[in-house]
Amino acid sequence: MRALRYLYRRLQALWRSEDIHSEIAEELSFHIALRTEDNIRRGMTPEKARREAERRFGRLSAIKEEGYDVRGGRWLETTWQDLRYSARMLARGRWSTLITILSLALGIGVNAAIVTAYKAFFVRPLDARNAGEMVNIAVVRNSGLRDYTFSHSDYEAYRDSVSAFSGLVTYRPMQVRLSNAGEMISQRAAHEQSAMARLGLLTTTASNAEFAHVFVVSENYFSVLGASVLQGRTFEAANTAGAGSPAPVLISENYRQRRFAGDPAIVGKTVHLNGVAVTIIGVTPRDFVGTGVSTPAFWLPVSIEPLINGDSRWLLSRENRPYRLFGRLAPGGSIEQARTQIVSVADRLWNQNDSKAESNTPATRPATALVWPGSPFPLPLRDLLGVDLAVGLVMFGAAMLLAVACANVGSLRLAVARSREVELRTRLSLGATRARVVRQLLTENALVGLAAGGLALLLSWALLKVVVRAIADALPVQYGTLVFDVSPNLAIFAYVLLISLIAGLLSGLSPALQSPRSALTSTGRASTTSVRTRRLQGVLVGVQVALSLVLLITGSLFVRGAINSLAMETGYESKQVVQLNFQFPRDPKYSEDRRVAVANKLRLRMAALPGVSVLTSARPPGIAFRTAAVPVDERRQTAGTGQSILHYTYVQASYFETLGIPLIRGRGFEGETGAGQFVVLSESAARRIFVNENPLGRNIRLGLVDERPHPNRELVAVGTTYQVAGIVRDTRGWSFDRSASEQIYLPLATGRIAHHPLLIRVQSDPLSIIRSAERAVASIDPEVIVTSSTLEDALRQSTPFIVSTLAAAISSSIGMLGLMLTLIGIFGTVSHVVALRTREVGIRMAIGAQKQDVLRLILHEITRPVVAGLIAGMALAAGVVYVLRGMLYGIKFVDGSYFVVMSLLFLIVALLAAYPPARRAMKVDPVVALRSE
Amino acid sequence: MARRKPDLPQGTLDMLVLKALSLGPMHGYGIGQRIGQLAENMLTVEEGTLYPALYRIEEHGWIESEWSTSENNRRARFYNLTRAGRKQLQVEESNWAYLSLAVRKILKAS
Repeated sequence: MRALRYLYRRLQALWRSEDIHSEIAEELSFHIALRTEDNIRRGMTPEKARREAERRFGRLSAIKEEGYDVRGGRWLETTWQDLRYSARMLARGRWSTLITILSLALGIGVNAAIVTAYKAFFVRPLDARNAGEMVNIAVVRNSGLRDYTFSHSDYEAYRDSVSAFSGLVTYRPMQVRLSNAGEMISQRAAHEQSAMARLGLLTTTASNAEFAHVFVVSENYFSVLGASVLQGRTFEAANTAGAGSPAPVLISENYRQRRFAGDPAIVGKTVHLNGVAVTIIGVTPRDFVGTGVSTPAFWLPVSIEPLINGDSRWLLSRENRPYRLFGRLAPGGSIEQARTQIVSVADRLWNQNDSKAESNTPATRPATALVWPGSPFPLPLRDLLGVDLAVGLVMFGAAMLLAVACANVGSLRLAVARSREVELRTRLSLGATRARVVRQLLTENALVGLAAGGLALLLSWALLKVVVRAIADALPVQYGTLVFDVSPNLAIFAYVLLISLIAGLLSGLSPALQSPRSALTSTGRASTTSVRTRRLQGVLVGVQVALSLVLLITGSLFVRGAINSLAMETGYESKQVVQLNFQFPRDPKYSEDRRVAVANKLRLRMAALPGVSVLTSARPPGIAFRTAAVPVDERRQTAGTGQSILHYTYVQASYFETLGIPLIRGRGFEGETGAGQFVVLSESAARRIFVNENPLGRNIRLGLVDERPHPNRELVAVGTTYQVAGIVRDTRGWSFDRSASEQIYLPLATGRIAHHPLLIRVQSDPLSIIRSAERAVASIDPEVIVTSSTLEDALRQSTPFIVSTLAAAISSSIGMLGLMLTLIGIFGTVSHVVALRTREVGIRMAIGAQKQDVLRLILHEITRPVVAGLIAGMALAAGVVYVLRGMLYGIKFVDGSYFVVMSLLFLIVALLAAYPPARRAMKVDPVVALRSE
Repeated sequence: MARRKPDLPQGTLDMLVLKALSLGPMHGYGIGQRIGQLAENMLTVEEGTLYPALYRIEEHGWIESEWSTSENNRRARFYNLTRAGRKQLQVEESNWAYLSLAVRKILKAS
């Protein structure tokens, strides 16, 4: 309570300081007046009475001051004094102040940037009015499976029955073929010129069609989101049923600029999407992303789906479930209400439809619903694999960097304080209390911290803005523009303020606590510093070194991991194999027979090209579905113990030759026509199923092999039995565990080749084959859409590769920054040590020390803490690497020699940093040094 | 010639002020008067020490002050005892009793 009153008074004093003065004066003059009256009553003259009254008070002004102080007024003025004095002192030590502020700004800035980026990317709300009212929806089944996509009839059921929502919208992103849109920009050229392609992050596709990325949304989308249009109008339910006039679509401003050169008369124009004529009826504002993260080319109404997909019953079929649902809570509606209502509707739907289906199991019944604050991500962040861990790690790295910066600043300030001992002693002897001196030093540090924080905020905001601008245009036109909001909001501002104050105070704390004490105890002239201060400085340097070493080692390991993932032995030929995807338009004239005919013609044409050695129809390695498998004893036809869950893929006999996967035992599918009853296993798959027994000729029974994803609980080995024909070498998968190498190869029926891409082994330049493929397809059937790339390029797009590249980039940057900070810290500390020990050096040289001795002396003082820090750092790094071993691609075991090598490198660099200031010590003229004071 | 009155030991003044206020709220001048009266003029309180003491005690939270009108219709700042102050008074009283007993015992020894 007393503390509160104390604070309250101090705060009040901010605006009441005049009043406080006058109140006290009034009180005292009241007293004097009464006393004067008293004296007059006793017989004094008025004049004498008054004078006597005043005399009794003695130091009237001093009493007034004391009262003012107690009533809360003094602190303002002393703080203001402190600020001015601190500013003067900081300005005097210009260089060290600058380095201090920059170091802290670096540490704080990295933290601020990461927090802002995190908020801009992950915690982003939907782009809607009153976004706080929007929620995402998912249904959780008994099996634990989370369904976040729904069919159109489901959507209508929820929309009409859940009263907790004032509006429910659907959304799905899609790629469509754009035609008749005026001059077709060569998408390949634009594609290749975009930054992402140049970084090798996008496939070099060859397509003979132009694509556009669109959002298909319900008719009420814009009104529920509260979005407006720049030009034209939004969908209105009545008008979108029409079969006669072309269907309406909206275009985004971004796309209008990039693709149609900002055509002002775009509203009313007609284009063709997937061959269907559509009219542009409106333009959405620039950077409006709605429920996505990037701007689409067009916004399509749901009613257009039957036309675009070439199936008039598309919306009615419950098999088509691509839609994500977003709801706006009604006033008075709560998330809880929504949840219960959704579950009951889901249950009703399940009873009507799914419970009668053949695949019905209690596992598919809805158990509960997930309703969480609106976000473009399909699942709550907690459930998105690895995001939490990754973000936590990055923040931890940034925190360590900040710690390095603080230790850096700490040792710098300590050095500075040592040189101010004389000033502090003087102040103490003139009557300042220790508390007062400490307060001033703390103010100085707080000032430094705030300056650094302000600089950090500015720099990180500017940097992020530049990065966002670069990213926005990094994707090629058809993918839209990625939109991020990186302006700091109040929470971020407060966070930065807090950590900069803490950082500033912490790093300046030790000198503040040390100096007055040492100032009090030492006498006479400035001598070399007390042991305690030296030890503290050593500790600070050691801490910096240790943390920087950890950051460096981790960073370099991530870089190695990224390099590894690129150069990894896949077990198959990836550079010289081209993958050719072909898509047929959604048109009834493409019957199954026609598709197969086209595919066959394509195969023949491609096989005839010069440079092509062999080709096959199959999905590329890495696209993996999983199924269950059990060994079957052929004599007794009973299943073996324990099923394994393995990957499977359908391939033709020529697959292994095309990809260069050697056959180890048995044979491939040679001589089989159509789909036989034989399979080929990879080495590790055979080991998994049959352990030590000979797998050739044995039977296995598989589960679902329909090339669709199923949750693990639905994989039961109750399907067809196959005989093992042969074993092939393992291929390495993309996942960090080795499960992807366990493959079952099933024979691909010739009737199915139209659904699988072509894999073509080439002797010559793959790029020329890609061009030829384009021409070949155009001559066979120009309406077929073809995209192709080498397998190597496809690998680069895989998530683990991208993740490891990003991790490498971020961690090595942080590591480099940490190293830089530490080196600056060492440089600064040694400079100060030299400056302070000038006199000592002079004495030593006067009595005969050589230059080398002096050098050794100075360097010795810095070497000990550095070495101690390195040892501690190695131990810490070992721990960190152990925790992170799952994320380091291809690095299973890090041997100790790597650590030692890194530490030695660090030591050398540190000594190099200490050398220039140490050299200055050598140049000291003994006579000058002895005289200087 | 009147003997010069001895000075109040430091700290005792606080206790006396608290005691004086326990009899009712009063302004600074009145507190001094009251103490003098209660002591039957064996003590006088110097203004130079009274107000610092008042401010100090107020800072501790044992008394609180507010503006009010005095007997002769003038605006004056009145102090009154808080609950914490009442407790503090008890504490100080018992301390004083203990100490004075101890001192008397020592002085009685011959």
